[in-house]
Order: sequence, then structure tokens, then C-alpha cells
Amino acid sequence: MPVTEGLVVSLTRMKRILEIDEENLTVLVEPGVVTGELQEEVGKHGLLYPPDPASLAFSTLGGNVAENAGGPRAVKYGVTGQYVRGLEVVLPDGRIIRTGNKCVKSVSGYDLTHLFVGSEGTLGIITKILLRLVPAPEAVQTMLLGFADMEAAARAITAMIRRRLVPSTIEFLDRHSIDAIRDALPFTIVDDVRALLLVEVDGDAAQVRRDAEAIGKLLQDSVRLQMSATDAAERQAIWQARRALSPAIARLAPHKINEDIAVPVARIPAVLERFESISRQAGLPIVCFGHAGDGNIHVNVMLDKNDPRQAAAGKQAVREIFAAAIELGGTLSGEHGIGNTKSAYFSLEWDADTIAAMRLIKRAFDPHNILNPGKIFPPVS
Amino acid sequence: MADNFNLREELARCVKCGACMAVCPIYRQTGREELVARGKLALVERRQREKEEPAAGNLSAFYRQAIDHCLLCHACEDNCSKNVQITAIIKESRREITAARGLHPVKKALFGLLRGRFGGLRTLTRIGSWLQLLAWKRLPAGSGLRRRLPLPLIDDQTVIPAIPRRNLDDRLRRRPAAAAADRPAVFFYPGCTARYLTPELGVQTVAVLEKLGYRVVVPREWTCCGAVVEAAGDRQTAVELQQRNLRVLAAAADRGPATVVTVCATCGHTLKGYPLPAGCQVMDISEFLYAHRQPLEKLLAGKTLDRRLTYHDPCHLRRGQKITAEPRWLLRLLAGDNFVELRHPERCCGSGGSFGVTHKALSRQILGEKIADLRQSAAAVIASGCPGCLIQLNEGIQMEKLAVAAVHPVTLLAELLAAPPAGETAAAVPTSGEEKKTPAKSRRAEKTSHKRKKG
Ligand SMILES: Cc1cc2nc3c(=O)[nH]c(=O)nc-3n(C[C@H](O)[C@H](O)[C@H](O)COP(=O)(O)OP(=O)(O)OC[C@H]3O[C@@H](n4cnc5c(N)ncnc54)[C@H](O)[C@@H]3O)c2cc1C
Ligand code: SF4
Ligand code: SF4
Repeated sequence: MPVTEGLVVSLTRMKRILEIDEENLTVLVEPGVVTGELQEEVGKHGLLYPPDPASLAFSTLGGNVAENAGGPRAVKYGVTGQYVRGLEVVLPDGRIIRTGNKCVKSVSGYDLTHLFVGSEGTLGIITKILLRLVPAPEAVQTMLLGFADMEAAARAITAMIRRRLVPSTIEFLDRHSIDAIRDALPFTIVDDVRALLLVEVDGDAAQVRRDAEAIGKLLQDSVRLQMSATDAAERQAIWQARRALSPAIARLAPHKINEDIAVPVARIPAVLERFESISRQAGLPIVCFGHAGDGNIHVNVMLDKNDPRQAAAGKQAVREIFAAAIELGGTLSGEHGIGNTKSAYFSLEWDADTIAAMRLIKRAFDPHNILNPGKIFPPVS
Repeated sequence: MADNFNLREELARCVKCGACMAVCPIYRQTGREELVARGKLALVERRQREKEEPAAGNLSAFYRQAIDHCLLCHACEDNCSKNVQITAIIKESRREITAARGLHPVKKALFGLLRGRFGGLRTLTRIGSWLQLLAWKRLPAGSGLRRRLPLPLIDDQTVIPAIPRRNLDDRLRRRPAAAAADRPAVFFYPGCTARYLTPELGVQTVAVLEKLGYRVVVPREWTCCGAVVEAAGDRQTAVELQQRNLRVLAAAADRGPATVVTVCATCGHTLKGYPLPAGCQVMDISEFLYAHRQPLEKLLAGKTLDRRLTYHDPCHLRRGQKITAEPRWLLRLLAGDNFVELRHPERCCGSGGSFGVTHKALSRQILGEKIADLRQSAAAVIASGCPGCLIQLNEGIQMEKLAVAAVHPVTLLAELLAAPPAGETAAAVPTSGEEKKTPAKSRRAEKTSHKRKKG
């Protein structure tokens, strides 16, 4: 969306899958291909394109590359950037460049490919994308694990990873989230469960069984609720807990400000504690859930924006949330990018010289500032 | 009709997330941003801004086109985490366009008839049933008519259901007075389609309700529910029609609690949106039957359909009225394991009221996907609780020359109830394409079934 009046370029009709190369495990696509549709298509060849942003039913690969999108599977498989091998890009002056190739090893010249990954449309318009694929796992098992508090849940995560049990997904729900969805679920969550982890393991059938058993044994002392699902219907029921969340939270207050900070996994309990005290100070509920496996937390400040006191408190809370995340070694955004709503906070994370280096790159590619003006960089005073 | 609805606030709620892109049938076919909810809302927003300027922007053809390209299928609304009332916004924009530019002359004449006090539609369909014999040739299957003379908006693939000479009112008048006055009453709202185009469905509904022990009241004062009229932007006529129906409902509710049963998903959705008088409730036939599941199961006495049956969710049933389980319960009851799901039962069939007539090519593309799913399901019968969907599905079936019957669940139920008890003969329900009777034959069959009832 343009910040002021502007021209929107829509690439959604450039939606051909140009080539699925089953020998090199790559796929060449146009930028308008919808993420979920690509996954379905490569799935027919027994292949997997792992990045799974929650928006995959409508997000395009062009947008995914431009935002370096990632989803629950990032713990094991990483984010979009890890799958981009090469690009075709139209530069602001109309020249067309090509970056990368099908080679696994490729170190000739600057890695321009990854300069465009996460560039939020500010450097060039991506018109072709070469993506890496992996063999689709044979089996998936989903588990819902309940803990006494977030501390215990976080310890469970690090314990799993230290034992080299790397689930493909670790999602968490804090106690406010659990309260919000409790009534909407087809099963009961007892009152003394104040943190939930949704864990998935994938791989060949035998390994999945082994991993799931190992996780169960490892955590047997700390879990207070354990559910496990292997078939589609059961998995659906468990995922319902996670999916019911956004609409359930929306009912808590007329408005919400949601941010998507990330911190190193081990810092999750610490940062959640900070958010608790920010919430108390602001007098506004703050609901947290997200991708525990990669430290990416969706922070929802619940408020009524029409109440001037709440609006001001909300704004202050957001600044403190960002500050807390950065202090604990985290980042302003794990998924959604900076855009224009977060550009004012950009200098909390990066020092002046780093931002200047980024501006140099922007100017080199787009000297007239015609691509996504006003995005990422704070306005120069 | 979307009172207490603030256009500005509604537009401001859209966060431009694009979730509507995943489900809009029109966007799926065209890939055009201005035709998906997000794009349409952006255009409406801009239109609102423009209106504040001294030289209010005129309604550009681009804008009108975008607003016109909507099936009112509610798919976007259902998928919108912000619960933006998208269809209400579209209807409001259409109202503005229609107010400024007037209705299409054909629609204008038609809606004028609806408003007329003297049963305009009744007369029209009566004349129409004679006229159409000149203009269309009957299809071999007897399920519709195909054009013989060139007419605007209708090409030679269009299947129009044969307009029967006797409408539902006539048919019910000729029916033997079936039920004793001391039975509990239930009101039946047949809607224009079951009243004038497929009165057989109306008769079947009455028969089923009577078998459940009711006295069925079909007030002749009912008029069109107004959905099509409002979809075309003619709010004034829609309000008039609503008021007329509300008068009927008020009279009904005066004599105690009144239940109104509908067989058309769109009518039911519209009626439920009326400011209903206290003590008056509207139920889709599937809800009503579900509420009577025990007597119904007894009546069926184990008879089941011996053909593979599938189901298409009408938009205004699934999303409009949030009804998905009851029709499936009914079809499982009727067909047991012969009931199979379509790949995408929830997707719109492309009918969208008059959309199928005004945007034929696009409507057929959307229909094409539905028919492909139908073919893949290998079903012999597809049921759907909306006469509009049935007309559209039949058109697709004819075009693809599939041997599939598209019928209302009530039709299946009525036929099964009338079939000989299980065991005597496999319950052969004459609904598949090949076996469909000619209209003449089916008239005779009706008479005999009446005789049976009398005897
Ligand atoms: C409901 C919802 C859930 C989400 N969940 C997640 C999630 O789980 N994980 C996550 O990482 N993100 C998530 N996101 C944000 C995510 O970044 C985007 O959904 C997605 O990556 C953007 O794809 P899009 O096709 O919608 O791009 P758009 O929104 O159209 O564009 C996004 C940006 O990329 C630029 N861009 C788009 N295409 C190109 C191109 N071809 N060349 C250059 N620049 C381009 C645009 O200019 C814009 O700045 C979510 C968003 C929503 C609305
Ligand atoms: S899904 Fe709703 S909020 Fe999102 S773009 Fe569509 S209409 Fe707007
Ligand atoms: S109501 Fe249906 S056709 Fe209209 S915009 Fe929404 S999804 Fe598209």
C-alpha cells in the first residue's frame, strides 16, 4: 500500500510455475504464484517447499521473497531466504538483471540474490524466482503439550533442542491466549495449564515415532497435558487451538496493535516477563503467542483506540515492547518487515552507520526513490 | 437490509491483508485486483473521498464494472478476520450507482412487475410459459429449454427451466384438502422459484411437511423476498417487498408463535435478515427436518437411495445462514454410504442471482470448476438446497452432457417417502438424467400419486 498517492504494481497475474526440476530439486516461478498453490503443486511430485507463513493461502512468492517470510516450520527448515537460489529483477531504471543459479555452491561475485530477499520492494521488482525444494517428509506427528508456566515451556524447548530433537514446529500460547480460546475447543484444557506448546515432528514414519516418544519421555515430569495426533482429522483438532486464536483475541477489545518481535529462543521467558510488567504499567492486556521454536512472538496490545488514554498508553507500550526485545538481543520484526509503521523505531535496532550503509545501497539501486518510497527508512529530518 | 451500518467505519475496518484473495471466485478466474473484495473496497473508499470534493467524481465505468463483478457469495466475508461487512458495502455501492444511473431496462420492467399489486410475476410467468414454447425447444431430458430465437442476454447454451403453466398456487388449490384443521400449522415461504418456475418442489415440500403431521399454510400474499432486487441496487423496491412480507408475517404471528419454512437458501437468508415480528422464526427446510429427525427416520423406514449422491453448499445456506451440518445429516440419512463430498463443496457455483445472466462467460468459468469437481466425484445425483444453484448446476450438467441429476434434498426425500417400502423393490428414485421423465409423463405420475394418497 502506498504511503501517499502512488502507483501500485500488481504482479498477481504473473502466476506461472515455469519449471519443476526434479533432478536439481529446484522450481522456477513467476512472482505472482501463490505460496500454497506452489506447495500443492510440488507436493504432487513428492517435494516440499517448506516456508509456511500463515498467509500462504493468498500470499505470493514475490511478496514472500521481498519480506523474507517464514512460518511455524522455520525451526527446522528456515525461512524463505534459505530457499531462494536466484532471481530475475527489474531495476528502477528498467534494466533487467539476473542473480544466482541452480548450483548449491555459488560464490561468483556479490550475493545479489540475498540483497533482494527482505528488501520490501525498495530495490527492484522481482519477476522470476528460482527456489530450492526438499523431499517431502513421509509422516508428521502433532502434539499439544501443556505446562504450568511459560518458564517450564521454555525449558522444555531448550531441552528438546539440546537433545538434538528438532521438531519441525514449536508454537506457543501464553495464559491469556489459552483463556481466550478455552471455550472454543473440542477438548478441555485444565486450569493449571498456563502455557501450551504445539509441537510437530516430521520425517520417515519410524523416526517420527521415535522422536515423539523421546519427547514424551524427556518432558514427562513437566507436562500437565499431552495430546498427540497422527491422522489429518486429529491434527486438525489440535491446530484449531492455534487457528482459533486470532479471532478469539479480537473479541477481547475493540482494537489491537500487533507486533511480531523476535528474540533468541532462550530469552523467551525473560521477554514475556518484561511484557507482563509493560502490560501492568499501561493498564492494557497484552496477549502473546507465536513461534517459540524460532523466538518469534506475536505481541498483541489490546485496547480501544477511541479512548485517548488507552491510545496513548498503547503507543507507549509498543515502544517499550520494541526496546525490551532489542535489549534482549532480539529484533523489531521476525516476519512482517519494517514497512512504514515500524520505520520510526528502526534506529532502536540499528546504529546510524548501519542505517547509512543501507541507505547507500538503496540510493545505488534507486537514486530517484521511486520504489516504495517511505518504507523501511525513517524520514530524514 | 443493513440498518445501523456505517459505510465509513466499515471501510476503515479493512486492513488490506488480502485474505479475501484466497477465496473470491471472481478473483480466482480473473486475477484482477480491482475485482477482489480488497480492491473493490479500496475503490469505494476512494469514491467516498472524491464525494467530499466540490466537483464530485462521476461514477466511472471502471468503478461500476468492479462493483458489478460480485456474486454476493459471502466467501470473502467468511474469510475476513476483521469481519468487514463486504456484501453490505457492495449493495450500498450498487444502490448509489442505481440511484444515479437507473436500472437496466429489463430489470426495471421486471422489478416493476414485482411491485405491482396484481401478481405481476404470476401473470408474467403465465404468459411466459406459452411464449417460451415458441422461443425455445424442449431438451430431450425435459429438464429445461434451450433458445430457439435470438434473445438478448441468453445464448444457445443457456438452459432455462421450462416455466410450468400451473404455478404453485394453482397446484395447491387443486390438491385435495389434505390436513385437518386441528393439526399444528407451519408456514411455507416458497420464494419465486418454487412458486413459479419449479412448483413441483413446492408441492413436494408441502407433502413432506404434511407427512410430519403439519397443516401447511402458504399465504398467497407472499411476495418476492427482495434479494435479487437489492442485489441490483433497487433498495426502494426491496424495502417495499420486505414490508409486504412482514405484513404477512405479522398477521401469522398474531395468532401465536409462527414458524416459516423456506426451501431457497437465498430467500431464507433474506427473510432471516428482516426485522421479524416477535414469536416468528424462519427455518431452512433442512433445519426444520433436523428438528424432526425421529419421526422422519421412522417415516423413511430404512429406505435409502441406491445411487452415489453428493452435495453443493449454497452460499446463502453455508455462509449466509451458517448451515452446513443439517443438509449433510439429511443426505446421509437418505443415501447412507452413497453420500460423498465434493472436492470443494463450499465454492460458489457462479450463479449469483442475475450474475449468471449478466456475466455469462465468467459465470460459466466458475461453474466449470464446480462441474469438474462433480465429474470427479462420480456422483449420479447432486443435491443443493437452493433452486438458483440447481438451475445453474443443471446448465453445467447439460453443457458437459453428464448423466447427473441436480435436485433439491426435499425432492429426494419426497420421492423416497413415496417409494415402496425397503425390500419390495430397491428404492429406485427416478432422478438420474437418463431416466428423467418428459413433463407430460411426470404430470401423469403426479395424478397417480394423488390417487394413492386419497385411497
Ligand atoms: C493474515 C496474515 C498472516 C501473515 N502471516 C505471516 C507469517 O506467518 N509469517 C510471515 O513471515 N509473514 C506473515 N505475514 C506477512 C507476510 O510478509 C506476507 O503475507 C507475505 O510475505 C507477503 O506476500 P504478498 O504476496 O501478500 O505481498 P504484498 O503484501 O503484496 O507485498 C509485500 C511487500 O513485498 C513487496 N513485493 C511484493 N512482490 C514483490 C516483487 N515481485 N518484487 C519486489 N517486491 C515485491 C511489496 O512492495 C511490499 O512491500 C502475514 C500477513 C497477513 C496479512
Ligand atoms: S480479508 Fe477483509 S480485511 Fe483483509 S483485505 Fe479482504 S476485506 Fe480487507
Ligand atoms: S462476495 Fe464473493 S464474489 Fe463478491 S467479492 Fe466477496 S468473494 Fe468475491
